[in-house]
Amino acid sequence: MLNYLVDIFLIAVSAALINNFVLHYFVGICPFVGVSRRIEMAFGMGCAVTFVISIAAFISWAITTFILVPGAPLSQWIAGFFVPAETAAKVDLTILSYIVYILAISSSVQFVEMYVRKFYPPLYKSFGVYLPLITTNCAILFACLTIMANIVGVDDPADAWDLGRSLVLAIFGGVGFTIAIVIMAGIREELDLCDVPKPFQGAAITLIVAGILALGFMGFTGVDSGLRKALTPTVEKQAAVENLPVGKMVKTASGYRLIG
Amino acid sequence: MNAVTLGLSAGTLFAMAVVLAYILGWASRKFHVEVDPRVTAIMEALPGANCGGCGFVGCSDYAEAIVADGAPVNKCPVGGASVAEEVAGIMGVELTDTLPFRPIVHCGAHTQDKLLRHDYLGEKTCEAANLVSGVQGCTYGCLGYGDCTRACNYDAIHVVDGLATVDYDKCVGCGACANVCPRNIITMTPFKYQRVMAIACSNKDFGKSVKEVCTVGCIGCKACAKACSLFHVEDNLSSINYELYCQDYTDELKKAIEKCPQKRIILVGKPTEKHLAETKDMDVPELVEAEFRTTVDDTEWWG
Repeated sequence: MLNYLVDIFLIAVSAALINNFVLHYFVGICPFVGVSRRIEMAFGMGCAVTFVISIAAFISWAITTFILVPGAPLSQWIAGFFVPAETAAKVDLTILSYIVYILAISSSVQFVEMYVRKFYPPLYKSFGVYLPLITTNCAILFACLTIMANIVGVDDPADAWDLGRSLVLAIFGGVGFTIAIVIMAGIREELDLCDVPKPFQGAAITLIVAGILALGFMGFTGVDSGLRKALTPTVEKQAAVENLPVGKMVKTASGYRLIG
Repeated sequence: MNAVTLGLSAGTLFAMAVVLAYILGWASRKFHVEVDPRVTAIMEALPGANCGGCGFVGCSDYAEAIVADGAPVNKCPVGGASVAEEVAGIMGVELTDTLPFRPIVHCGAHTQDKLLRHDYLGEKTCEAANLVSGVQGCTYGCLGYGDCTRACNYDAIHVVDGLATVDYDKCVGCGACANVCPRNIITMTPFKYQRVMAIACSNKDFGKSVKEVCTVGCIGCKACAKACSLFHVEDNLSSINYELYCQDYTDELKKAIEKCPQKRIILVGKPTEKHLAETKDMDVPELVEAEFRTTVDDTEWWG
């Protein structure tokens, strides 16, 4: 339980700050540059992305877990009607991931657009053209693919991400995106007052600022492993909890481990 | 890749398509927003250029403002009178006179008319040349380095023989040239007719000083003001009151044109055949047709 909470916490901090989607992985650059002119607009965009990314993460986690991953229950069950069980267990639909995620993202954006238009007209008005733009926001696809990698790519099926981890990654990825774009908008508002040399005006200075900002965020590198070390119970504590003898190889779920 | 994988892939995508289509279809009915049919109709009437010339964010914003806030129906510079009429019809309002605003260059001096002109080797823009004294004698008149040409998105203003000349066939009245002109000699003027009169000079100096720097400048002699009450001379420069300007004054205006010793009262805009017939026998400077070249020659040395 404690390990699970630590995991959640680390995923959250990592997605929001350390491995910030925009400033570490460089995904979602186009709204980052395009909608970062005013702080209010940037914040609205950040909220919209966070919202959509959460819905998309929920859908993509469900689809990946139940349909795409090898040995997924739903596809296995359907395949079971046509082929023997041992062949059905090997059915691997991960090739579909991109098209399925894009489908899920664009329809959830469409849904959100209709919902917001009906119930929050001022918000709809202030989003304007940017809400449909989220459809092609690679940060959201990136979150979906990260979730898939953590479900499909793990050796032990027990380590595959559950819905909680996926949602935490998505929500805090969106929060990280909001932080990055609001910081950027704040800098760009000040930048309007500056005497920028002509060759640097416009997109050039924006990209330079984004680069410097990314360099700043590089300062967080390594914080996650440090945090994990600090938060994970030390071997002695763990040994005491698990009532294991200190100083010998112990067989655990993920292989042999030296205690002490 | 076997038949089962293929079948399952196709089935997955098909099922997703069906489910999502069903959800979105349900949502589109459930979250249906009543849009005023007039907004849709106006949207279709507007040109959809989203240029922002009306002062609103885009065509859809303008359409909503017309219906919701009663914005004027004649703001669209691209669509002009025909669109204004259509929109007025949709809204059921009476269309008052729509005055398209068009730029008038208040200078009439071509290169040979400008005196005391010296070689200018700096950057070939009006903005830069305006900072330097002695480029030409007249500190009010057109510099002819084509800032307005570069500002125009519609290829409607060109520097012809050292003088910015508007091509009124292409002009949509966006005002970009008037904003960029460092000497502010381009004014956005309401064109009550296809062709209006204009004072082709901006020089506010005394007549003697004007004649020293320009062969065609307005000398502030007040001859026009005596002939027609529309003219008003202030700071040695004549100007026309466009608010009162109408066809009642045609005879007086003709007299003023004849009286002007410098021939500085010119007709600008698109001449109709009627206009041409009227002014056939009069000695007025004809509007210079636009040519596709500027004074900035590629072969010139760039300092």
